[in-house]
Parts: sequence; structure tokens; C-alpha cells
Amino acid sequence: MRSSSRLVIEFRDVAKRFGQTMALAGVTFTVSAGETVSLLGPSGCGKTTTLRLISGFEQPDEGAIEIAGESMRGKRPYQRNVGLLFQHYALFPHMNVAENIAYGLKHRGWPKAEIAGRVSEMLRLVKLQGFESRWPAQMSGGQQQRVALARVLATKPKLVLLDEPLSALDAKLREELRAELKQILASVGSTTIVVTHDQDEAMSLADRVMVMNRGRIEQEGAPDEIYARPRTPFVARFIGRGNWFSGRVSHPPGKAFARLSTSAGTSLWICAADAVAGGDWSACVRPERIALLGPGAKAEKPGDNLLPGQVVEIINLGAEIHYAVDGPEGRLLVVEPNREGPRARRGDRVSLRFRAEDCVVLPYASDA
Amino acid sequence: MPQGRPVKRAYPALLLPGAAVYLGFFFLPLAGLFRESFRQFTPGGVGSAANAPFTLANYSELLTPSFAEFFLETMRISLLASLTGLLFAFPLAYWLARRLSPGWRATAVGFFVTLMFLSVLVRTYALELTLGAAGPLRPILLGVGIFPNGRGYIELLVAGGLLHYIVPMATLTLLATIQNVDPRLFDAAQNLGAPGWKAHLTITLPLCARGLLAAFLFSFTFSISAFVIPMILGKGRVLFISNLIYNRFSEVADYPSGAAISIVLFAVALTIVYVTSRQLHRRSMP
Amino acid sequence: MTGRALDNLLRLLGMLMIGGIVCFLLIPIVVTVVMAFDARAYLGPLPPPAYSLRWFRRFFSDDYFLRGLGTSVQLALLSATLSLCVGVATAVALDRGSWRGKEALTSLFLSPLIVPPVVTGFALLLFLSGLGLSNGFARLLCGHIIITVPYTIRSTLAGLSGIDGSLTEAALILGANERSAFWDVTFPLARTGIVCGAIFAFAISMDDVAVSIMLTDANTYTLPVALISSMRANFDLSIAAASVLLMLATLALILVLEKLVGLDRIIGQGVFR
Repeated sequence: MRSSSRLVIEFRDVAKRFGQTMALAGVTFTVSAGETVSLLGPSGCGKTTTLRLISGFEQPDEGAIEIAGESMRGKRPYQRNVGLLFQHYALFPHMNVAENIAYGLKHRGWPKAEIAGRVSEMLRLVKLQGFESRWPAQMSGGQQQRVALARVLATKPKLVLLDEPLSALDAKLREELRAELKQILASVGSTTIVVTHDQDEAMSLADRVMVMNRGRIEQEGAPDEIYARPRTPFVARFIGRGNWFSGRVSHPPGKAFARLSTSAGTSLWICAADAVAGGDWSACVRPERIALLGPGAKAEKPGDNLLPGQVVEIINLGAEIHYAVDGPEGRLLVVEPNREGPRARRGDRVSLRFRAEDCVVLPYASDA
Repeated sequence: MPQGRPVKRAYPALLLPGAAVYLGFFFLPLAGLFRESFRQFTPGGVGSAANAPFTLANYSELLTPSFAEFFLETMRISLLASLTGLLFAFPLAYWLARRLSPGWRATAVGFFVTLMFLSVLVRTYALELTLGAAGPLRPILLGVGIFPNGRGYIELLVAGGLLHYIVPMATLTLLATIQNVDPRLFDAAQNLGAPGWKAHLTITLPLCARGLLAAFLFSFTFSISAFVIPMILGKGRVLFISNLIYNRFSEVADYPSGAAISIVLFAVALTIVYVTSRQLHRRSMP
Repeated sequence: MTGRALDNLLRLLGMLMIGGIVCFLLIPIVVTVVMAFDARAYLGPLPPPAYSLRWFRRFFSDDYFLRGLGTSVQLALLSATLSLCVGVATAVALDRGSWRGKEALTSLFLSPLIVPPVVTGFALLLFLSGLGLSNGFARLLCGHIIITVPYTIRSTLAGLSGIDGSLTEAALILGANERSAFWDVTFPLARTGIVCGAIFAFAISMDDVAVSIMLTDANTYTLPVALISSMRANFDLSIAAASVLLMLATLALILVLEKLVGLDRIIGQGVFR
């Protein structure tokens, strides 16, 4: 839910060209105070360009950028009150930790007497007390990350930008730091934009996710919403995994659900409101919404879909079990939590059951 | 992916001091030299007279066999020195790169760098003193049948003088090149059945092609431009083009001719650098 | 011959060759050092029967050499300093911005390295004489500047190129303007390249013969020019003494470089294109 408090940053129809390529083709969004928003997308989607436009390293060709109500036209990076956490930290190798953190304070005119105190305060915040005289080269990746964060937050910027904050860390460290990062940003009350290509990073850190593709924002919303109700084929494919069925839709009279009929002969129940009759449509079903049942399973309620199949591959990932099931619609993926009790084995004939409501229906996109 | 890359702002004004220095101390003088090479020389004067007519005589003179001889001699000895230098430097660099421990390698590198920094006069003098006609080796040489004053020996000495700079320089260049070649490729080749020498010939050497070409480029341009080494060790019997230019300047005061020879030498050096650079660019392998 | 035997033979040959090369590189140096302490008044066969410092005394009492040394040192200091200023400014300009022809311009600035030194000296002599500049020291200074500037440019460029671009951006976004960012971040990190360039310039200037010999006059000459004239006139051992002194100076220079920069850095950037 977007808070109605003041807007920290406003992007209006911003476009940016590099040579022949259109890096941003008209991007509009706002971020309100205290929000954490993520710009998520594959490489080339324009998220890095957006980051550089906000920080001031590039100027837009069209459109307007306003931070705290002030136009940023022609403003150099040091004239904006924006903090940027670089992907590889960009700690000054010839300065120690204290000097690194104090750098922004010095140049933004903090009184000399207060600088040392603020540096210690920031080191306490990132749990690196006593690290003042260490050198960047002497620290681990995680520690450098925290110093970089302290450096960014020291000057109390209006807007904090994080560029792929967790990508340079290994898996275990990533999880630890993710939680800490969220907690630190919340405690400071900062307004944050996280730029990333990693869904987990985006979904776990942000209140609101903006999925970008080819220089535009394709969908924005809470992580749940993006996941459960993708509005374009790109978003549906980029976020999470899915099983896809394509075909023509018909509305049988007197039924609460509509029918999607594929070329292989399968008929699925989908929600009637999701699609009009005629035309080609695609339905995406998330693997964890599918129940893996024995071959004799029956539909329980109207709107239940039942597909036959045979288990060809089982991958045990510890917390989850992935089943690859072959059937008339090709290979489907079913994901179940790892729980006690009998499990299907390779070669078993099974039934896959899922509800009409579990089908995300989108206009057919040929890049299947 | 054409995203914004860190692009620093340009300050073209900073180029002004450099431009001024280069214009005044380099380009204009070279242009002047070029002009001078077309003027007629009056024997007995210093350089060309104030209103001397323009002529191609200075250049046509260079087409004569006697000049061509100097030119070829310079080329020949330079080529010999450069190729020999590479031949020596490569195994040396290989040994440094792959067989020495890092501690010894650092010492060896220090040794070579010191040799390169050493004044050319010191090296040339050392060679002349040790291996020259008046040196302590004289009896040994005569005993073996080599005439220290003979032309062949002097040519060899000049080549040796060039080598004394070329070998350290090429070794250091090739050291960097070889260190960029994954030693496991050599192991893989042996694993596939090639004996050591064949593996080197077919794997290590081709991968070092760029470095070898670069080392040759430095060595050859250095050699053809050499002045002090042929002057001291050549004893007036072996003259490189640079020495010829100096003679025209100091002994005869025939500036136009000296200028013409200079332009030719300059053109040759430029061509070699250009051609080899093109080759290097084409072989831009990571 | 089997592959293995051929391998071993080649390895043996290789080692012999390496030994030979190292001897070739070292022996003349060693001989010179030994002969410099030769007590005899003439050049005789090895080994010297007795050792003394006579040749060093001869060198230091010879006005001709000492004047040359003085001029050389003055020239080297002056030209290194001026070269540095011009070179750093040019390198910074070449390192920034991205415009077409930047590579060509950089090559242009490095071009004096290709031109044979005699040609450079000759051209400069004609030009400066034509302008009416007859002061020997001034002419030599011009020559030494133009042969040392490419080294300062190249060394500084190498130092600058090693700097991560995002560091400058980090400084900018933290509140530093372009000038502060340069002095706070770029310059300190490029310092080793700059210092290296200065040392190279000094060494090149001290060692130069070809350019100096064209620009010298009867009153102003450098030590190398004096040594060369001496070598051609009478090949005596005071030059050996001078050589030993020059060797010590070179060693000192190398040690300074090693302390400051580390020799492996020099190989990466220094002498080659």
C-alpha cells in the first residue's frame, strides 16, 4: 500500500538513448518516503541506466526527474542528496575505514567536531565498531559491504540507491546480509531503491517491485501480487517458474468457469473473468500450486483440473522436491515441500491436480 | 550492452602545454628537417645557404650503391641482433617464468631491469674493454684465430652490443607474455601424447606470438636507430645510419644530405612500427 | 631419437645457452668493475697485479668530466620536472572523455619514442638555430624535454588506467566536485605511475648521447658526451671508474624504484609500448 506521505523521487516519461539504442523508452514512477522499491529486470532492461540517471552520472534526453520536489535537470552528482552503494563497493583503497566514511561528511559540510562521532555511530550501526583504522584491503567482502553502507548512510541522504547489493557475496553470506540490510535500512527510515536482476533479492528486500524490460516498466506491485498475478508474459516468465498451456478459450453456457483447449487435446478449467472467448491465450500454473496424486485421483470440486502424467525425474533440493512429469502437454514441473510420508518414484503414473484459480491467464505470446 | 559506463569529463585545455611542447620541439623541427632535405648544399658552407634552390639530389644520392650498402649493413646487423635476441630471450624468459621460485624470479627481474637502466655508455665501454681489440681477451682471441680488428669480428661485436640491451628487454617482455599463458595447456598437450619440445612448438610458441612480435618490434627499431653502440664498437669500420647522419653533420656540415638520410631512417622506422602494430592488432587474442 | 631423449637434449642445450647468455651479460660488467680498480697506469691484461683508486681520483680531478657531470645533473633535474608537469597534464587529458581519435592522438604523443634520437636532435638543432637560439644549455634542455615527455605521459597513463572508474564516481556522489575528486582519489592512486615517470625521465636524460651530441656546444656538454669524446680520443680506465660510479647510481635508482613502486609494476608499464 503506497503511503500518502511526500514523494521522495518522481520520474516522468524519462527517455535515454545511447547511440542507436533506446535504453529507457519513457519510464514513469514515484517512490514515497520510507518505501523500499526494487527495479528488477534482466541485463539490458534499463535498470542500470535508471540508476545512473538518478545519481546524476547521466542526464535524460527527455522527461523530468525530481527529487524531494526539486528538479534535477543539469544537477551534478555532488549537487544531489542521493547515496549510492556500488556493486563492488568502490571503497577508496588509499584511505582507511574512518576516512572512507568521513569523506562524504567532509564534502557535504559537516562540522569537523561532529565527524568523528558520526563515523563511530555509523560503524556501530553496521556492527563494525572499532574498525576505524582498518584498510579496505584487510577486510572480507561482507565487511567491505558494511563499510560501504555506512559510508552511504553517514550523510543522511534523502534517497539511497543499492546496486545489486548482494550479488558479490556467496549464498550463506547473502542470506545473513539480506536480513541485516533490511533491518538497518528500516531502523534509519531511509527511502531506498534496490536495482537488481535477482528475483530473490528484489522480492525479499522491497515493499514494491517494478519489473523492467527493454527500457520500460512492465508491471509494478507488491512482491505477492507480481508473483501471483503477472500481467504480461514477460513478467510471468521472469518471475518464478511456470508450466505453460496455450490454446483457444470457450465459455460453455451455464458453467462458472471457462475452458482453455490446447492443440494436444487437453482442456483446462480457467476463471471465466480472465479471458474472452476466441483468440489465443496462455495459462501459466506455478509448480507449487500443483498437487501430485495417485493415478486414480478424482476432481473434487468444480473448477478442478486433472492431468495424467508419468514421473521421469526427481530432484531433491533438501527443503523442496522437484518432480519432472511427462504428459500429453510435454514436461511439467511440480514442486512439493519435503514432508514425511510416501513419495512418488521414478516411472510412477500420477495425476496432477490444480484449480482454475491457479491458472494465470495471459494473452498468447509467441516467444514461448 | 550499451549502458552508461563511467565516463570522466574531458578537459581539453589540459592538452595545451603538451601540444605546445610537441609542436615547438618536435613536429615543427621535423617539418623543417624535411624541408632542409630538399635544399642544395654548397660545399664549404654550413648547411644550405639562405636562398639555396630546392633539389632532389640529396635523395637521389641515396640510391647509389655505396649508400645502399650502409643501409643494408644496418638492416642486416639489426635483423641478426633482433632475431638472435629473441632466440636467446625466449628460453630465458620461459625459465624465469616457469622454473624459478617467485623469490628468485624477483631477483632475476631486478637484475634485468638494472641491466636495462644501465647507461648505454657503460655497457658499450664494458664490451669494448672486455672483448675489444685492446682488451684482456686479445691473446685468447688471437690464439683461436680470430682477428679482433677484422671486419667480421667488429660486426659481431656491434651485434653483441645491441644484444646486451635487446636480451634483457626482450626477456622482460616475453616474461609477461609467458606468464599470461596457462601452463596447464602445456600439460594438456603432453597428456595428449606430445613430447615436451613438440608441445612447446605447437602450443606455447603460437600463444606467445603477440609477445614475440612486440619484442621483435622493439628490438629492431632500437637496433636500426642505434647510435652509441655502433659508434664505439664499430670503430669507424661499421657505420649505422645514425652514425652516417652524424658524420654528414659534424664532419662535412652537409646538413641537407644529413636531413635526407634522417628522413629516410625515420620513414623506415615508422613503416616497421606501423606494419607490426597492424599485425599485433589483428592478433588481438586475449 | 625418442621424444624423451630429444626433450632432455634440448633441455640441456637450453640450460647451456642460458648460462652462456648470463655470462655474456655479466662478464663485461664484472671486467669493467675489476679494471676500474687497476693500479697500473695503462690498460693491461687481466688480472690486475694490484688495486688502487687512482682512476677514480683521475676522474674526480678532471675538470672536463666534472663540468659535464654538473651540466648533466642540472639538465636531468630540470627536464624531469618540466617533463613531469607537461606529461601529467597531457596524460590526464588523454585519459578522460571518450572521443574518436583519442588512440591516434595518444600514439602521436608517444611518437618521439619511434624516431631515432639522432634525427630528433638534428631536427631540433636546425630549428632552434634557425630561430636564433644559440645558448647550449637551452638547446639541450629542449632536446631533453622532448625525449623524456613520452615516458612521463606513458607512465602516468598506465597509472591512471589502473584506477577503477567507479572510485571517481563514488567521490562525486559523496559530495566532491570534479576537482576535489581528482586530487582526493585520482592523483593519489596514480602517484606511483607519476613517480615512475619522473624517475624514468631523469634516467633517460642522464643517459642520453645521440640527442645531446647534436645540441651540444663547446661550452655546454653533458657527461655522456664528455665520456664518448674521451673514449674516442684515448681509451683509458678513468672511463672505467666513471662507469662504476654510473653503475652505482643506477643501482641506487633501481632500489629507490623497488621501494617506491615494486619492480613488477615497472615491467607492466614502464619501458615498453
